Amino acid sequence: MNLSPDIWVWVSAFLTLCIFSFLFRDNLLYRFAEHLFVGISAGYFIAITWHNVIYPNLVIPLFKQGNIIFIIPFAFGILYFTRFIPKLAYLIRLPIAFLIGWGSGVAIPATFQTYIIKQTQGTLLVPDAFLRWDSGLWAVIGLVGVVSTLIYFFFSKERKGILKPTANLGIIFIMLGFGASFGYTVMARISLLIGRIQFLLGPWLGIIK
Amino acid sequence: MKVIESLTKIPRQAIFITIALAIIIPLIVPIGIPVNVMPQTQKLFDAIDELGPESGPVLLSCDFDPQSMPELYPMLVAIMRHCFARNIKIMLMSLWPTGPGLVEMAVDAVPKEFHKVYGQDLTFLGYKAGGSAVILGMGESIRDVFPTDYYGTPIDSLAMMRSVKNYKDISLIVSLSAGDPGYRTWLLYAQSRYEARVGTGVTAVSAADAYPFVESGQLVGLISGMKGASEYEVLVKRKGYSEGIRKAAQGMDAQSLGHLLIMVFIIIGNVGYFFSRRRR
Repeated sequence: MNLSPDIWVWVSAFLTLCIFSFLFRDNLLYRFAEHLFVGISAGYFIAITWHNVIYPNLVIPLFKQGNIIFIIPFAFGILYFTRFIPKLAYLIRLPIAFLIGWGSGVAIPATFQTYIIKQTQGTLLVPDAFLRWDSGLWAVIGLVGVVSTLIYFFFSKERKGILKPTANLGIIFIMLGFGASFGYTVMARISLLIGRIQFLLGPWLGIIK
Repeated sequence: MKVIESLTKIPRQAIFITIALAIIIPLIVPIGIPVNVMPQTQKLFDAIDELGPESGPVLLSCDFDPQSMPELYPMLVAIMRHCFARNIKIMLMSLWPTGPGLVEMAVDAVPKEFHKVYGQDLTFLGYKAGGSAVILGMGESIRDVFPTDYYGTPIDSLAMMRSVKNYKDISLIVSLSAGDPGYRTWLLYAQSRYEARVGTGVTAVSAADAYPFVESGQLVGLISGMKGASEYEVLVKRKGYSEGIRKAAQGMDAQSLGHLLIMVFIIIGNVGYFFSRRRR
């Protein structure tokens, strides 16, 4: 064992143990660490926003370099605060409308291209997919999975005839998807625990490298 | 019968302690369970491995925070080692405000293993707020979005950045992504609009969502969680690129035992539940 001489490693280890103490039951140490985290996070984000966003993108160009055009985004930003003045509160719609307009204009074509067109292309059975038997098999399973899942979510027609078994097959694919997601979630949580224990056993206690 | 029914009433503290032991013991006394490399990890490795010193730099976007560090930080280190071993230049940046501190740790540690020089072999652009706007802006001109690097040095004074204007000059973008903005934002704007090559490393929670993008060819490769990071570390070691500490691979014994134990608990819980229902 080779205990760390670094005070910040000790602080970090103490806070980690405070959070872990919740596994036994809710207690004062856990609440202390939780509140500390919330407070520090809020302060950190305010400082980061000032130094990385407001100061270089607004204060320097507008107030130090005298670039007048920056008054427009400044004024738009200020309009957000009209929410606190009931008579002027309607003005908040202007920056929100601008953001929604810009965001939709940028996002809709990109979303359509990325999530619909290319994903549909990826689902289609193309000759290249059958160059190897295993990739061909997966391509067929993928196509069957997509079609049966879409049919499961097709509510405009009563599930009779061919629609019923296909929708039931869709349920199987959906359940497989949920299972995979849950498995990965367990894996992620165990990974986070491993990361903390590696820290406690490594930099703090010096038991492992 | 009472014994079986009592299986559904195991105190949760006992479960936590058992899992903690299953994690701690293999970290101290490694078992050496082999790591099998998944095809999507191999794809990303191959995409970087086929690059060389004459290729444009690889852009690593570290879109994560300390919470996802155990999964994504080992990927960052492994990819940096791979690039430096192949003499590929690296650009680092973050779309998350909590990312730069973690990137700085890697910038302090990894380049010196390969005697690489800041400004010639790697550049750290820092954090920029805006997500999609940042990615779109970089597609036109990187120096308009990042006029200086993280340390305040003008981009044009860094040797490796003089020939880099936009995505056309970058070989590959790898987003180490813990959420939004992340690999999806890079796919939406850099890949679909500027046809940049994008790969990703994601937390295990979001891995299942990323697979369709590998299958469709939109992502050149995918590293999934700590397991994926360990696979990449194994590939880097297998090729003889680095003998450095492999944090994710060290955790794989613990990961496997943890999973095994959870499966056992799920089976025990279900058996207990099944018998208690039959009795009712």
